[in-house]
Amino acid sequence: MSSTTTVNRSAATTEAPWVRWLLTGLALLFIALFLIIPLVSVFFEALRQGWGLFAASFTDPDALAAIKLTLITAAIAVPLNLVFGVAAAWAIARFRFKGRSVLTTLIDLPFAVSPVVAGLIYVLLFGAQGWFGPWLAEHDIKIIFAIPGIVLATVFVTFPFVARELIPLMEAQGSDEEHAALVLGASGWQTFWRITLPNIKWGLLYGVILANARAMGEFGAVSVVSGHIRGMTNTIPLHVEILYNEYNFVGAFACASLLALLALVTLAVKSFIEWRSARLAEEDRRHATEE
Amino acid sequence: MSIDIRNISKRFGNFVALDNINLDVASGELLALLGPSGCGKTTLLRIIAGLETADAGQILFHGEDTTAKHVSERQVGFVFQHYALFRHMTVFENVAFGLRVRPKETRPSETEIKRKVHELLELVQLDWLADRYPAQLSGGQRQRIALARALAVEPKVLLLDEPFGALDTKVRKELRRWLRRLHDEVHLTSIFVTHDQEEALEVADRVVVLNKGHIEQVGTPEEVYDTPASPFVYQFLGDVNLFHSRVHEGWAEVGKGRIPAPDAPDAPAIIYVRPHEIDLSRVASGDALHGEINHIRILGATIRLEVDVEGHDAVEVELSRERYSEGGWKVGETVFLTPRTVQVYSEPQ
Repeated sequence: MSSTTTVNRSAATTEAPWVRWLLTGLALLFIALFLIIPLVSVFFEALRQGWGLFAASFTDPDALAAIKLTLITAAIAVPLNLVFGVAAAWAIARFRFKGRSVLTTLIDLPFAVSPVVAGLIYVLLFGAQGWFGPWLAEHDIKIIFAIPGIVLATVFVTFPFVARELIPLMEAQGSDEEHAALVLGASGWQTFWRITLPNIKWGLLYGVILANARAMGEFGAVSVVSGHIRGMTNTIPLHVEILYNEYNFVGAFACASLLALLALVTLAVKSFIEWRSARLAEEDRRHATEE
Repeated sequence: MSIDIRNISKRFGNFVALDNINLDVASGELLALLGPSGCGKTTLLRIIAGLETADAGQILFHGEDTTAKHVSERQVGFVFQHYALFRHMTVFENVAFGLRVRPKETRPSETEIKRKVHELLELVQLDWLADRYPAQLSGGQRQRIALARALAVEPKVLLLDEPFGALDTKVRKELRRWLRRLHDEVHLTSIFVTHDQEEALEVADRVVVLNKGHIEQVGTPEEVYDTPASPFVYQFLGDVNLFHSRVHEGWAEVGKGRIPAPDAPDAPAIIYVRPHEIDLSRVASGDALHGEINHIRILGATIRLEVDVEGHDAVEVELSRERYSEGGWKVGETVFLTPRTVQVYSEPQ
């Protein structure tokens, strides 16, 4: 994107060289200190005692169980939020109804609430002493300290990502194309699959990627509802904490490196999507000016 | 197919967009809905299409009530102001869309779709653009593709929302003529919305002038231009000079001159005169208005003179280039103005 705006600025609008160097230097120093060094140190600590121990950390049954649980949780939470996010964005961007602004605010709630509080809400609702606790116990349904609780907490904290990504996009695109499809005889479903979805697919992918990263990395809310049962209800972030508290640094950092790797992949995919959308927009602009 | 619009009303909150509209559109007619922005013309068009629902009233297609019919069943072609082409589809797929979404029983075969789309693209003279994407087309091309797409479903009625609004003047004029020719070929009942009086007068068989949610006048272009039914129509259909005066025994006095108003009652009145319907002279005649030229602007084929008239604001006079050079008018000259045709409306009390 920056390549399109390489305009040589005149001396009158540029700062003195020492100011530029100082500001750039400060920014780089900050990034190095708070982002790059920790990231490198994660991999460094993980590999400190050789590949053997690093690899062994993953063959540990508890670690494998944590990885499996994390994947299951994400596999349930992300599709749920995908469906919900698209539905909510559709409702908010396309219709004017009472309570629309309330719904918009509610979608942001998980960002405003501390994850620990989010976890506690579910304990309060479904825990043994909670509102539905006795009923659940009677029917032998386990939510808290079990997978359903972890999934619920994860769904809650990743709630806003898809919807927040899509609402501004859909509002900017307007509903003319959908109306055009309807006038041409398409049904509601046909309009959604053939017009709406293709138009929002990049924004949707972006939201899903962010939601997925958060779903796999969530600590606070999941920690409250999981009960930390080894090999049963530990996700990767919880497993890292336990290992660390037991001074098993290699194991802790090995698992942490998985999450760091996930972050890097997420960033790469995210940049690719941004780069692609920018390129598409650039192409449109170029064609428009060619007229 | 004929369209009957019966008692259509629509409000948005406290704003009355349409107030009890009644209108008959004859089969095969090309009708213009003309009015300033906010007059309700687009709302009326969207109600006819089914994209908007009226608070009250009915829309009849060929005598049949369509009020309860879903937009996808009304068989209308709609061309959106900003075309609304499907950005992720090629031109070909855009035009084919209406055929592809049909239920299996009525959906044409692939070869039939191909034939039909190319036929339509030839009709709009853009067959060579079939593989392009909308973003790669110019405004005028997009407009014609949008039209081809609307025609693909063989609509009974064609509705166009500001069809030339987003185009530059030259392309707009070309497309205007092209649309008129196309209409003469396919003879589809068509309604288009516009705020440009020139466009309405040039293209349409009949013009409906709308203002603040109600119809001011319906008529052929000649009728609405030559015998405007209200001051609003007069003002909206062209440049105009306004004189506030009082009619006394068939004459309205303006400064030292007077304007004939033979049929008007003795009361305060507004007199409308079009700038090109005023004669200029250096010789005073009995009734002519006195004035002084204070500005001359050359607008291509016509020349516009601003004349300060005694007892009134500046009056605009338009002359053809020949008459202007014949007269040899100069800024600062004293001149006498005689309106050729005037329109007198009693001033509302």
